[in-house]
Amino acid sequence: MCPRLWFLLKYVVIDWSTTRERGTEMKGTKIRMLTALAVVAAVASITLAAATGTKAIKERQQAMEDIGQAMKALGAIAKKQAPFDADVVKTSAETIANRLNTAAYLFPDGSDRGDVETWAKAEIWSDHENFQKDLDTAEAAAVAMQSVTDEAAFGPALGVLGNGCKTCHDTYRRPKQ
Amino acid sequence: MKYPSRARWIAAASALGAVLVAAVFFVLTAARPSGRVLPTNAPDVANGKVLFHVGGCIACHNPPSGTDNSGLPTGGAAFSTPFGTMYPGNLTPDPDTGLGRWTAGEFVDAMTKGVSPEHRHYFPAFPYTSYRNMRIEDLLDLRAYLMSFPPVRSTQRDPDVRMTGLARRAVGLWKRFAFRRRTFEPDPDRDAAWNRGAYLVQGPGHCGECHTPRNAFMILDDTRPLEGGPHPRGEGHVPSLRDLVGRGRYADVADLALALQFGETLGYDKLSSGGMAQVQMNLARLPEDDLRAISEYLLSLR
Repeated sequence: MCPRLWFLLKYVVIDWSTTRERGTEMKGTKIRMLTALAVVAAVASITLAAATGTKAIKERQQAMEDIGQAMKALGAIAKKQAPFDADVVKTSAETIANRLNTAAYLFPDGSDRGDVETWAKAEIWSDHENFQKDLDTAEAAAVAMQSVTDEAAFGPALGVLGNGCKTCHDTYRRPKQ
Repeated sequence: MKYPSRARWIAAASALGAVLVAAVFFVLTAARPSGRVLPTNAPDVANGKVLFHVGGCIACHNPPSGTDNSGLPTGGAAFSTPFGTMYPGNLTPDPDTGLGRWTAGEFVDAMTKGVSPEHRHYFPAFPYTSYRNMRIEDLLDLRAYLMSFPPVRSTQRDPDVRMTGLARRAVGLWKRFAFRRRTFEPDPDRDAAWNRGAYLVQGPGHCGECHTPRNAFMILDDTRPLEGGPHPRGEGHVPSLRDLVGRGRYADVADLALALQFGETLGYDKLSSGGMAQVQMNLARLPEDDLRAISEYLLSLR
């Protein structure tokens, strides 16, 4: 951020004022001002885009983290490490459904890169329709899970939900260390 | 016009040299059948089925999307590699486009030597570099399982590789180095489950094809087995399979076995990206003993 601010200062404030003091021709000043403005606009838009990307990446990684925690709670029940508890199932499924619902807004154009590393693949944006479809499928599975109250229905519901995770991660996420 | 005799000599010598080099290259890179003698006992189709899923054969030998026969390894779907697009072959016993006319010896040579019945080198996108670790009996069982499929005619396509013929010859040269790697030998100091796991991972499972980094010649680097590295298709980073417990990835053998069986369904992360989803869903079909064996071996890697 700092070099960018300095850049702005140098071109707009200092350069402008010094050229005026020196009493350069008006034409030269105008060109300088326009150039400076263009540079400022370019720098600002790049900064803004990077900031948008970074913000979106952080938000969706947090959403994925929340989903991961909720999935772990459901997984613990499936693995018999925790007793079947309809309340835990409901709240976990709600978390997953909510995050998946908002996930659609966490992949804005230009958020394929930012100041933090992202494992999102370009296909999210090049094949956005299908990406949204996969998100919807996973969300529907999470919504269905919310109304699971007996253990017999839990396993199959978790299978469908897990497939939702897999399908999307298979196509739209790069592997990470 | 008269050339100086020395220039003539040089020209003749270089022409001869080029011919010699070409001849040596031609001989060194030829694809030859092994002519190996095969055991004759009746194959175990059930074992072949397990190996089919360990290898995840269907993951690459699948039909093109939009066609029927899903579930049968008819091949034909595109498989992109850094060297070009491959179209894996038809593994059903169709006589014209599949394995129907292949002899057992031809099948074993394909799997262990990477040599086709037409005596051509397969590109190593077909991971024979791992399958050569397989026992002959297992290969014959696998073949018997493949032959139990209904024959399906499918479209076979040559790979989209520049100068395919020459490239295949280059593969022949590459194999001379790639095949210097030692093949799998059980470790008598370890128990049966560990050895079974090591065999499945290094042989039919071909985990190292992605999880072991390659050297400058694209040969798997045996000094860094399963350490992870760049994804073969440039899609990120293939995770290391070493020190999985120490890195907090899995608690114990049972935990990893469950992760391999159910993947992200049970909240295990990082088991679906970069092609691992297909791998995991094929592993899900293994007997639980084999999943535990694989886990025991993997968790022993520090």
